[in-house]
Amino acid sequence: MWSDDELFQHRRAAPLTTTSRVILGVLIFFGLQSVVLFAWWWFRAEHVSNALLFVLLSAAVWYGVFRIVVGWYNVFHIAQPPPARAPGGLRVAVFITSSPGEPYEMFVRTLAAARAIEYPHTTYLLDDTRDPRFAELARDMGAVHLELVGFPGAKAGKINAALARTSEDFILVLDPDHIPFPNFFEPVLGHFDDERVGFVQVAQAYYNQPRSFVARAAAEQTYAFYGPILQGMHGTGTAVAIGANCTFRRRALESIGGHGVGLAEDLVTAIRLHAAGWTSVYVPEIVARGLVPEDLGSFVKQQLKWARGVFDVLFNEYPRAFRRLTAHQRLSYLMIGTYYLVGLTTPVYLLIPAVYLWTGVQPAAMFLSEYLRHALPVGLFGCILYLYAQRWLCDPPRERGWHWRGMLLKVGCWSVYLHGLVLALLGVAVPYIPTAKSRQRGNFWRMAAVPLIVIFGSVATLAAVLYRRLIVMPEAEVRITTEVAAGMIGFLMTNVAFMGGRLYAAWKDRAR
Amino acid sequence: MTRRYQFGFFALGWLLLIGIVVQRGFDGAFGRSFAAVHDSIVGMEQSLSDREATARQRVQPHSRRDDVAHLYPSFTAATLRNPPRMLWGAYDGGLPESFAGVSAFEQRVGQPFAIVSIYQAWGDRPDEADFPLRAVATIDRLGSVPMITWEPWVKDFDRPNLPKDREYASLAAIARGDYDFYIAHWATAAARYGKPVYLRFAHEMNDPYRYPWGPQNGNRPDDFIAAWKHVHLVFDKMSATNVLWVWSPHISMPWFEYYYPGDQWVDWIGTGVLNYGDVAPWSRWWTFHQILEKAYPALTKLRKPIMITEFGSVTSGGDAARWYEQAFHDVRDKYGAVRAIVFFNQAHDATLSATPLNWSPLQEARAARAVAEGMAR
Repeated sequence: MWSDDELFQHRRAAPLTTTSRVILGVLIFFGLQSVVLFAWWWFRAEHVSNALLFVLLSAAVWYGVFRIVVGWYNVFHIAQPPPARAPGGLRVAVFITSSPGEPYEMFVRTLAAARAIEYPHTTYLLDDTRDPRFAELARDMGAVHLELVGFPGAKAGKINAALARTSEDFILVLDPDHIPFPNFFEPVLGHFDDERVGFVQVAQAYYNQPRSFVARAAAEQTYAFYGPILQGMHGTGTAVAIGANCTFRRRALESIGGHGVGLAEDLVTAIRLHAAGWTSVYVPEIVARGLVPEDLGSFVKQQLKWARGVFDVLFNEYPRAFRRLTAHQRLSYLMIGTYYLVGLTTPVYLLIPAVYLWTGVQPAAMFLSEYLRHALPVGLFGCILYLYAQRWLCDPPRERGWHWRGMLLKVGCWSVYLHGLVLALLGVAVPYIPTAKSRQRGNFWRMAAVPLIVIFGSVATLAAVLYRRLIVMPEAEVRITTEVAAGMIGFLMTNVAFMGGRLYAAWKDRAR
Repeated sequence: MTRRYQFGFFALGWLLLIGIVVQRGFDGAFGRSFAAVHDSIVGMEQSLSDREATARQRVQPHSRRDDVAHLYPSFTAATLRNPPRMLWGAYDGGLPESFAGVSAFEQRVGQPFAIVSIYQAWGDRPDEADFPLRAVATIDRLGSVPMITWEPWVKDFDRPNLPKDREYASLAAIARGDYDFYIAHWATAAARYGKPVYLRFAHEMNDPYRYPWGPQNGNRPDDFIAAWKHVHLVFDKMSATNVLWVWSPHISMPWFEYYYPGDQWVDWIGTGVLNYGDVAPWSRWWTFHQILEKAYPALTKLRKPIMITEFGSVTSGGDAARWYEQAFHDVRDKYGAVRAIVFFNQAHDATLSATPLNWSPLQEARAARAVAEGMAR
C-alpha cells in the first residue's frame, strides 16, 4: 500500500543514456540470434507429426515470437520528447464527460482537481445525466456545464457536440475517474509549438491498484505500455491516443471531422490523425492518476469492449488509412489491431494436449530437451529485455516486477477476446457502457464458467488418460510413450494454472 | 542522418562478429549443460515410467516381463552369448515410436520375443546423436534384450572439420579415430545403460551395391577389420562391456570370410535370410535352405552362435506359409548353429524398390499360423 502523498506526485520516466541504448541493442541482437536459431530448428520436416496440428501450433507459437521481436524493435527506438515549457497565453479547454449511473462523488474530486490545474483553462462538464446536482456541482467548481443529452456515439458524440459550442485551441479529454495534478499542462503544451503536432498523450497511472487482485492485474497490464512501449512508439512516430488524458489540437480534430466514434474511439481518432499527416507526442510523465476496474465483471466488460473496438479498427479503419500511413505506423497499428488475437492462440494451446491425450495425435515430434535447448535462449532474452526495459517505467518503485497477475488474467480472458473477435467479424455491436468505478459483485458460476470448463475438462482428460494408460493400453505402448504423455500432461496442467487467475478473481468477486 | 546509418552499419558488423562468437560459446557451454539437462530429463522419464508401471501392476498384475522370464532363462552375458535355447526376436517398422506392431505380432504367435531389434544411423540429428536410451530401456523393461543395428552413415554429420567426400574410405577414417568423438560419446551412454545389448555394427560390409561402407567406396576388408577393432577398443575403454558384438556380413556376396575380425572381437555371427521371391529381376523364389546352405560351412567354421538377424519372405512368387514351415524344419534339421532368429516384420520396406515390399509374416493368415506353430515347437 502506498500513501496518497507517494501516489499523487509528479513522476517521469528515467532519461535515456547512450550506454543503456547500447546495452539494449546488444541484448536485442542476441535475442534476435536466438530467435533465428530457434526458427532454424523449429521448421524442420522431421518435426512434423500431424501436419494440421503442426501448422496450428506453429502459428500460435510464431505469432507470439513475432510480437516479441516487434516489441524489441520498438523498444530499441525508445525516445523521449525534449522537455518543453508551456508557453503562456494558449487557450485551453478541459472536457470531462459524465453519464447516467456514474457516481456523483467521483465528479466532486475530479472537478476540484481540474479547477486546481495551474495553467489557465476552462473546464467543461459534458453532461447527459439529467441530474440537477451535476449542473450545480459544475457551477460550484467553476466549470461550464454543457447539457448534452441524446447525442449518438456516447462519449465521442458529446465531445464533438461540445467542440461545436466551444472555441479553445487545445482540448484535454479527461476521463472522469482521473485526477489531474496541478502541473498537468506543464510538460504538455510546449509540444504544440510544432505546428504538425496533432495530439500529446501523457502516461496513465492509477491509484486503486492495491485494492484487489483484478485491479493489480489490470494495472500490471498497462505498466510496460505506458513505460518503454509508448516511448518506443514515440521514437517511431506512432504514439497513439488512449482515450483519457490526451490533449488535442482543435484544428487537428476538425481536419478529420471531429473526434472518432466507436468502441475504441481513441484509436480511431489516432489513426485518422496520423493518416491526415498529424504527428503525435508521448510524454512519459505521470501528471494524473485514475481508476482501473476492481472486479472481474467490470474488467471483462472493459476488455470485451476494447477487443471489439480494436478489431473494428483493424477491419475498417486500418485498410482505409493504410496508404497514407508511414511504414512504422502501418506496422504499429497492425500490432495493436492484432493484440487480442491471443483469443485465438490460447485455444490452440488448450487444444493440443487434449487432442493428444484423447486421440494420440500430436503436432510435432520433438525431443523435450532439444526444444528447451532452442526455446530457452529466446525466453531468457525475452525476460532479460522485459526486465531491462523496466528502467523506463514511469514510476519504477511501484511498477517494477514480473507482472504475473496481469499475464494470468490476460491468458485467462482468452474467451473474452475471442468473443470480441467473433462480434467484430459478425458486425454485432456491443453497447458502450462506461467502466464501473467501484467494485461490483457477480454470480460466481457465471463469471467462472470458462475457467471452470477448462479446468474440469482437463481433470476429466487426466482421469481418462490414467484409466487408459493403467487399464486399457498395452503395457508396451505405455512404456514407450511415457515422455510424450508426461509432457502433454504437463502442458495440460500449465493451462489449468493459467486459468487459475481468472478463477481466483471470480471467487474473490462472487456475490455473497 | 547518413552518419547515423553509417554508424549503424558499422555497429551491426561488430555485433554480428561478437554475436557469432558468443552464440558459439553458448553452444559450447549450453551444449554441455544441455547434455546434462537431456540426461536428467531422460532419467526422470525413466523413473516416472517405472512408477507408472508399478501403479499399473497394482491394477493389472500381468506383465510382459514375466511372460518373457517364463519362456527364457534369465538374460545374462553368459546365456546371451551361448543361449540354452533358440532366441526368437523381431524388428517392427513402427519402432522406436510405437511398440504396437511388436505387440500385435506377439499376440498372433502367442509368445513374447526375446530380442527386439532396432536400427540407428550415425549422425548429428536428434535421433542419431545419442545412444537410443529410451527405446533400449523400454525394451529392457518389457523383459527383452535390444539389438541395435548401428549404421555408419558418416555423411549425416554436419561438422566443418570433416571432409565433404568422407563417404569414400570411411572405414579407414573410423579406424584412424576421426569419429571417436561420436563413438566415445555413444559408448559412454551404452556403458551407463549397463545391461546386455546386441550391437550389429556396419552390417553387410561386403555388399558393393548397398551401403556407403561397402567395398564400392574404397573400403577394403582390412579397413573394415581395423574399424571394427577400433570401435570395439573404444567401447572397451569406456567400459561398455555389456555390448555383445554381432558381426553380420551379406552371405550371398563373395569373400565375406575376409571381413571377419577374429574370435576375440566377435560374439555372434549374424546374417539376413530374406526371400525376395519374384519381386526383382535378379531374384527368384529361394527357400531358407537355398539361401543359407552355401555359406553355412564357412560360418560354422568360426564356432560362434549364428543369428538370423533379418528373417522373412515376401508372398509374391510362392507360398510364404510353406517357406516358413520349411525354414523352421531346416533349422532344426540342418542348421544347429542357428541360435537366434529375428523376424523382419516390416510391411513397408522401400529401401530397395519403388513399390515397398511387405516382409510381415502376418500378412497371410496361413503364414502367420505357420510361424506361430514353428515358434511353439
